[in-house]
Amino acid sequence: MSQSGLPPLTGAVRDLAHEVVSALRGGGHLAGSTALADDELGLAAVRVLGADVLLPATLAGYSLSPERVAAFRTATLAFPAAPGAAPVTAWSHWGMRRALRTLSGPDEDPALPDTGEPGASWLHSLPWQRFTHQLAVLGALALPGLPSEVATTAALRPVDLARGFVRAVRRRDWLQAAGAARWLALLDGVPDTLGLDTGLDFVLLMSDDDPRVALQAHAARHIRDERLLDEGLRA
Amino acid sequence: MFSEESVVRDVAQDIDIDLEAALNPAEAEGTFRDTRECAALALIGGQGALLLSPPTPRPTKKG
Repeated sequence: MSQSGLPPLTGAVRDLAHEVVSALRGGGHLAGSTALADDELGLAAVRVLGADVLLPATLAGYSLSPERVAAFRTATLAFPAAPGAAPVTAWSHWGMRRALRTLSGPDEDPALPDTGEPGASWLHSLPWQRFTHQLAVLGALALPGLPSEVATTAALRPVDLARGFVRAVRRRDWLQAAGAARWLALLDGVPDTLGLDTGLDFVLLMSDDDPRVALQAHAARHIRDERLLDEGLRA
Repeated sequence: MFSEESVVRDVAQDIDIDLEAALNPAEAEGTFRDTRECAALALIGGQGALLLSPPTPRPTKKG
Protein backbone atom coordinates (compact mmCIF):
# COMPACT_ATOMS: atom_id res chain seq x y z
CA MET A 1 0.00 0.00 0.00
CA SER A 2 1.50 3.27 -1.00
CA GLN A 3 0.99 6.45 0.95
CA SER A 4 -1.03 9.17 -0.71
CA GLY A 5 0.70 12.36 -1.67
CA LEU A 6 4.16 10.86 -1.84
CA PRO A 7 6.18 9.73 -4.86
CA PRO A 8 5.63 5.97 -5.29
CA LEU A 9 9.16 4.99 -4.31
CA THR A 10 9.12 7.25 -1.25
CA GLY A 11 5.84 5.75 -0.13
CA ALA A 12 7.07 2.20 -0.70
CA VAL A 13 10.25 2.88 1.28
CA ARG A 14 8.27 4.37 4.15
CA ASP A 15 5.90 1.38 4.19
CA LEU A 16 8.85 -0.98 4.29
CA ALA A 17 10.59 1.03 7.00
CA HIS A 18 7.38 0.93 9.04
CA GLU A 19 7.37 -2.88 8.79
CA VAL A 20 10.96 -3.08 9.99
CA VAL A 21 10.30 -0.74 12.92
CA SER A 22 7.24 -2.79 13.88
CA ALA A 23 9.35 -5.92 13.85
CA LEU A 24 12.08 -4.32 15.95
CA ARG A 25 9.59 -3.01 18.50
CA GLY A 26 7.17 -5.92 18.50
CA GLY A 27 9.35 -8.96 18.67
CA GLY A 28 10.00 -9.63 15.03
CA HIS A 29 6.98 -11.72 14.21
CA LEU A 30 5.29 -9.18 11.96
CA ALA A 31 7.83 -8.19 9.34
CA GLY A 32 9.79 -11.36 9.82
CA SER A 33 7.04 -13.52 8.46
CA THR A 34 5.57 -11.38 5.72
CA ALA A 35 6.92 -11.55 2.20
CA LEU A 36 8.52 -8.55 0.58
CA ALA A 37 6.80 -7.11 -2.45
CA ASP A 38 8.45 -8.64 -5.49
CA ASP A 39 7.34 -6.08 -8.05
CA GLU A 40 9.63 -3.39 -9.42
CA LEU A 41 8.65 -0.81 -6.87
CA GLY A 42 8.90 -3.22 -3.96
CA LEU A 43 12.35 -4.37 -4.97
CA ALA A 44 13.52 -0.79 -5.50
CA ALA A 45 12.28 0.04 -2.01
CA VAL A 46 14.31 -2.85 -0.64
CA ARG A 47 17.37 -1.51 -2.44
CA VAL A 48 16.87 1.96 -0.95
CA LEU A 49 16.45 0.69 2.59
CA GLY A 50 19.32 -1.72 1.99
CA ALA A 51 20.61 -3.99 4.70
CA ASP A 52 18.21 -2.43 7.19
CA VAL A 53 15.45 -4.58 5.66
CA LEU A 54 17.07 -7.48 7.50
CA LEU A 55 17.65 -5.50 10.69
CA PRO A 56 15.26 -7.57 12.83
CA ALA A 57 17.60 -10.50 12.18
CA THR A 58 21.00 -8.83 11.97
CA LEU A 59 20.52 -6.51 14.95
CA ALA A 60 17.89 -8.19 17.13
CA GLY A 61 18.38 -11.84 16.23
CA TYR A 62 14.81 -12.50 15.12
CA SER A 63 14.19 -15.09 12.43
CA LEU A 64 13.06 -14.05 8.97
CA SER A 65 11.10 -16.10 6.50
CA PRO A 66 13.08 -17.68 3.63
CA GLU A 67 10.81 -15.85 1.20
CA ARG A 68 11.77 -12.53 2.70
CA VAL A 69 15.46 -13.31 2.51
CA ALA A 70 15.03 -14.54 -1.09
CA ALA A 71 13.32 -11.32 -2.13
CA PHE A 72 16.10 -9.34 -0.45
CA ARG A 73 18.62 -11.33 -2.47
CA THR A 74 16.70 -10.60 -5.66
CA ALA A 75 16.81 -6.87 -4.93
CA THR A 76 20.53 -7.13 -4.25
CA LEU A 77 21.02 -8.81 -7.60
CA ALA A 78 18.72 -6.46 -9.45
CA PHE A 79 20.36 -3.24 -8.36
CA PRO A 80 24.13 -3.59 -8.20
CA ALA A 81 26.26 -0.49 -7.86
CA ALA A 82 27.19 0.55 -11.37
CA PRO A 83 30.84 1.26 -12.17
CA GLY A 84 31.51 4.83 -11.12
CA ALA A 85 28.53 4.94 -8.79
CA ALA A 86 28.67 7.26 -5.80
CA PRO A 87 30.56 5.79 -2.84
CA VAL A 88 27.43 5.63 -0.69
CA THR A 89 25.68 3.64 -3.42
CA ALA A 90 28.57 1.18 -3.61
CA TRP A 91 28.73 0.89 0.17
CA SER A 92 25.00 0.33 0.62
CA HIS A 93 25.20 -2.52 -1.87
CA TRP A 94 28.20 -3.91 -0.02
CA GLY A 95 26.12 -3.77 3.15
CA MET A 96 23.35 -5.78 1.50
CA ARG A 97 25.82 -8.45 0.37
CA ARG A 98 27.32 -8.63 3.84
CA ALA A 99 23.90 -8.95 5.45
CA LEU A 100 23.03 -11.81 3.12
CA ARG A 101 26.27 -13.54 3.97
CA THR A 102 25.60 -13.10 7.67
CA LEU A 103 22.25 -14.82 7.30
CA SER A 104 23.24 -17.44 4.73
CA GLY A 105 26.47 -18.72 6.23
CA PRO A 106 30.04 -18.78 5.04
CA ASP A 107 29.45 -20.39 1.64
CA GLU A 108 29.86 -17.83 -1.11
CA ASP A 109 26.83 -17.07 -3.24
CA PRO A 110 28.11 -17.52 -6.81
CA ALA A 111 25.80 -14.78 -8.03
CA LEU A 112 27.12 -12.37 -5.40
CA PRO A 113 30.86 -12.95 -5.12
CA ASP A 114 32.82 -11.15 -2.44
CA THR A 115 34.42 -8.23 -4.23
CA GLY A 116 35.78 -6.60 -1.10
CA GLU A 117 35.04 -3.22 0.38
CA PRO A 118 34.53 -0.30 -1.99
CA GLY A 119 37.06 1.92 -0.22
CA ALA A 120 36.42 4.87 2.06
CA SER A 121 39.11 7.36 1.11
CA TRP A 122 36.47 9.89 0.08
CA LEU A 123 35.36 10.16 3.71
CA HIS A 124 38.71 11.06 5.19
CA SER A 125 38.96 14.63 4.03
CA LEU A 126 35.31 15.64 4.26
CA PRO A 127 34.41 18.56 6.53
CA TRP A 128 32.37 17.50 9.54
CA GLN A 129 29.05 18.62 8.04
CA ARG A 130 29.43 16.57 4.88
CA PHE A 131 31.05 13.73 6.83
CA THR A 132 27.96 13.49 9.03
CA HIS A 133 25.64 13.61 6.04
CA GLN A 134 27.44 10.79 4.26
CA LEU A 135 27.59 8.60 7.36
CA ALA A 136 23.91 9.22 8.07
CA VAL A 137 23.08 8.03 4.54
CA LEU A 138 25.08 4.91 5.38
CA GLY A 139 23.37 4.36 8.73
CA ALA A 140 22.64 0.74 7.74
CA LEU A 141 26.37 0.02 8.14
CA ALA A 142 26.31 1.11 11.79
CA LEU A 143 25.95 -2.29 13.37
CA PRO A 144 27.83 -3.98 16.20
CA GLY A 145 30.14 -6.62 14.80
CA LEU A 146 30.17 -5.22 11.27
CA PRO A 147 33.70 -3.96 10.71
CA SER A 148 34.32 -1.85 7.65
CA GLU A 149 36.57 0.97 6.56
CA VAL A 150 33.58 3.29 6.94
CA ALA A 151 33.16 2.22 10.57
CA THR A 152 36.88 2.60 11.17
CA THR A 153 36.79 6.12 9.77
CA ALA A 154 33.72 6.98 11.83
CA ALA A 155 35.47 5.80 14.98
CA LEU A 156 38.22 8.35 14.35
CA ARG A 157 35.82 11.32 14.34
CA PRO A 158 33.18 10.93 17.09
CA VAL A 159 33.29 14.61 18.01
CA ASP A 160 32.74 15.63 14.39
CA LEU A 161 29.75 13.30 14.28
CA ALA A 162 28.43 14.77 17.53
CA ARG A 163 28.68 18.25 16.05
CA GLY A 164 26.95 16.99 12.91
CA PHE A 165 24.15 15.48 14.99
CA VAL A 166 23.54 18.79 16.73
CA ARG A 167 23.65 20.63 13.43
CA ALA A 168 21.13 18.22 11.91
CA VAL A 169 18.78 18.68 14.88
CA ARG A 170 19.01 22.43 14.63
CA ARG A 171 18.35 22.25 10.89
CA ARG A 172 15.37 19.94 11.55
CA ASP A 173 16.93 17.29 9.34
CA TRP A 174 15.54 14.47 11.43
CA LEU A 175 16.64 11.65 9.14
CA GLN A 176 20.23 12.85 9.16
CA ALA A 177 20.09 13.37 12.92
CA ALA A 178 18.79 9.84 13.49
CA GLY A 179 21.39 8.32 11.17
CA ALA A 180 24.17 10.21 12.91
CA ALA A 181 22.79 9.14 16.29
CA ARG A 182 22.97 5.51 15.20
CA TRP A 183 26.70 5.86 14.54
CA LEU A 184 27.18 7.76 17.80
CA ALA A 185 25.46 4.94 19.67
CA LEU A 186 28.10 2.61 18.30
CA LEU A 187 31.19 4.70 18.91
CA ASP A 188 33.49 5.39 21.83
CA GLY A 189 34.59 8.92 22.60
CA VAL A 190 31.22 10.64 22.19
CA PRO A 191 31.04 13.72 24.48
CA ASP A 192 28.79 13.12 27.50
CA THR A 193 27.50 16.66 27.10
CA LEU A 194 25.79 15.65 23.87
CA GLY A 195 22.86 14.04 25.71
CA LEU A 196 22.35 11.42 23.01
CA ASP A 197 19.44 9.67 24.72
CA THR A 198 17.38 12.80 25.17
CA GLY A 199 18.43 13.97 21.72
CA LEU A 200 17.06 10.75 20.25
CA ASP A 201 13.81 11.23 22.15
CA PHE A 202 13.56 14.73 20.72
CA VAL A 203 14.23 13.55 17.16
CA LEU A 204 11.52 10.91 17.45
CA LEU A 205 9.10 13.44 18.92
CA MET A 206 9.70 16.00 16.20
CA SER A 207 9.91 13.74 13.16
CA ASP A 208 6.16 13.35 12.83
CA ASP A 209 6.27 9.56 12.85
CA ASP A 210 8.48 9.35 9.76
CA PRO A 211 9.20 5.60 9.68
CA ARG A 212 12.67 6.05 8.17
CA VAL A 213 13.62 8.31 11.07
CA ALA A 214 12.03 5.86 13.50
CA LEU A 215 14.00 3.00 12.00
CA GLN A 216 17.34 4.76 12.52
CA ALA A 217 16.36 6.00 15.97
CA HIS A 218 15.18 2.60 17.18
CA ALA A 219 18.29 0.98 15.78
CA ALA A 220 20.36 3.56 17.68
CA ARG A 221 18.48 2.84 20.89
CA HIS A 222 18.90 -0.90 20.43
CA ILE A 223 22.64 -0.54 19.85
CA ARG A 224 22.99 1.82 22.81
CA ASP A 225 20.97 -0.43 25.13
CA GLU A 226 23.13 -3.41 24.20
CA ARG A 227 26.31 -1.44 24.83
CA LEU A 228 25.10 -0.25 28.22
CA LEU A 229 24.14 -3.82 29.10
CA ASP A 230 27.55 -5.10 28.06
CA GLU A 231 29.30 -2.38 30.04
CA GLY A 232 27.14 -3.17 33.06
CA LEU A 233 27.99 -6.84 32.86
CA ARG A 234 31.70 -6.09 32.60
CA ALA A 235 31.65 -3.66 35.56
CA MET B 1 6.78 -16.89 -6.61
CA PHE B 2 8.76 -15.26 -9.36
CA SER B 3 11.53 -16.24 -11.72
CA GLU B 4 14.66 -14.68 -10.32
CA GLU B 5 16.26 -14.28 -13.72
CA SER B 6 13.24 -12.62 -15.27
CA VAL B 7 12.71 -10.29 -12.34
CA VAL B 8 16.33 -9.18 -12.36
CA ARG B 9 16.27 -8.57 -16.10
CA ASP B 10 12.94 -6.77 -16.09
CA VAL B 11 13.76 -4.58 -13.15
CA ALA B 12 17.16 -3.65 -14.47
CA GLN B 13 15.79 -2.75 -17.90
CA ASP B 14 12.41 -1.26 -17.21
CA ILE B 15 12.43 0.58 -13.95
CA ASP B 16 12.07 4.29 -14.48
CA ILE B 17 12.61 5.41 -10.93
CA ASP B 18 15.58 7.57 -10.17
CA LEU B 19 17.02 5.09 -7.78
CA GLU B 20 20.44 6.69 -7.69
CA ALA B 21 18.93 9.88 -6.31
CA ALA B 22 17.26 7.88 -3.55
CA LEU B 23 20.46 6.03 -2.76
CA ASN B 24 22.68 9.09 -2.82
CA PRO B 25 20.44 11.91 -1.60
CA ALA B 26 21.60 15.48 -1.37
CA GLU B 27 21.41 17.02 2.05
CA ALA B 28 17.88 18.11 2.84
CA GLU B 29 17.14 21.78 2.97
CA GLY B 30 17.36 22.83 6.56
CA THR B 31 16.10 25.68 8.64
CA PHE B 32 18.02 26.64 11.71
CA ARG B 33 15.94 27.01 14.84
CA ASP B 34 15.23 30.37 16.28
CA THR B 35 16.33 31.21 19.79
CA ARG B 36 12.97 30.50 21.44
CA GLU B 37 12.80 26.98 19.96
CA CYS B 38 16.38 26.29 20.93
CA ALA B 39 15.62 27.29 24.49
CA ALA B 40 12.70 24.85 24.57
CA LEU B 41 14.89 22.14 23.12
CA ALA B 42 17.52 22.83 25.74
CA LEU B 43 14.93 22.40 28.48
CA ILE B 44 13.81 19.08 27.00
CA GLY B 45 17.32 17.97 26.24
CA GLY B 46 18.64 17.98 29.79
CA GLN B 47 22.33 17.23 29.53
CA GLY B 48 22.23 18.20 25.87
CA ALA B 49 21.51 21.77 26.78
CA LEU B 50 25.05 22.90 26.20
CA LEU B 51 25.29 21.75 22.61
CA LEU B 52 21.66 22.22 21.63
CA SER B 53 21.31 25.76 22.90
CA PRO B 54 21.97 28.71 20.63
CA PRO B 55 25.34 30.46 20.71
CA THR B 56 25.94 32.42 23.86
CA PRO B 57 25.30 36.14 23.34
CA ARG B 58 28.48 38.16 23.67
CA PRO B 59 28.57 41.60 25.27
CA THR B 60 29.02 44.41 22.82
CA LYS B 61 31.91 46.76 23.19
CA LYS B 62 31.02 50.12 24.61
CA GLY B 63 32.51 53.34 23.51
